[in-house]
Amino acid sequence: MSAREDTAAEVVSPSRTSWTAWARYRITHTVPEGQWLPDRQPAYVASWIYVFGMATLVSLFIVIGSGVVLAIGGSEWWHTSNVGHYVNSVHLWSVEIFFAVMAIHLWGKFWMAAWRGGRALTWMTGMVALLAAVGTGFTGYLSQTNFDSQWIGAQAKDGLNSVGLGAWFNALNPAAALTLHIVVLPLAVGVIVIMHIILVRRHGVVPPIGAEEPTP
Amino acid sequence: MAGTHILAEGAGNYLNFGIFHISVTNALIMGAMIVMFILAVVIPFPHHDADDEGSR
Repeated sequence: MSAREDTAAEVVSPSRTSWTAWARYRITHTVPEGQWLPDRQPAYVASWIYVFGMATLVSLFIVIGSGVVLAIGGSEWWHTSNVGHYVNSVHLWSVEIFFAVMAIHLWGKFWMAAWRGGRALTWMTGMVALLAAVGTGFTGYLSQTNFDSQWIGAQAKDGLNSVGLGAWFNALNPAAALTLHIVVLPLAVGVIVIMHIILVRRHGVVPPIGAEEPTP
Repeated sequence: MAGTHILAEGAGNYLNFGIFHISVTNALIMGAMIVMFILAVVIPFPHHDADDEGSR
């Protein structure tokens, strides 16, 4: 019996009258104890290619942390302050590393067909997280408060208008771009990444092709 | 038009392959990512012998 089945067997079905019992049951049932923060992994996980998911997560933490500091200083802080310039550079380069390691994570998971074994939702949440992160990156370009963001905004405006999206989003509106960049899209990325990690812990790391456990 | 042309000069080196137009910097970064991917697959992951038992 696996750890997940063992734990699930101990959990009593949720009470109809208590939302706390219901929440406890749902949490324990979704990712049983022992699958959160495990200290042992299958032998095939001992490969550098499995490191890039965690590298993506760590760089995302640095992106968010440096972004919070930039938000406190203001969108133009980095033009006039050496500290602001440094924090802005940390934000930029952590984003560069975030996208690079996320792309390598994607390549690795694609070539090992990581959607196998009931992991389709894990794959799909990863792809949606990538799309949301790209949108966050684009609005970040628009929030630099310099000629680069002005140029990119003008190009993006023409591109969005050409596909009929100009009525919903004006790339030349820096306030809209900034609030999307620091509130709406990071929230979306955060929620999707949490869902992705919950699914990874629920289903475990995908085994190499040919090493799957036989289905009963 | 001439002013735009002057601004574009010195903005970086670009590679042109037909309809493809990419800066040397971006091409180098993408090449480095591919190299890193290959190395991640090929290079053995360090591990301690004591951990070789059981499901490790």
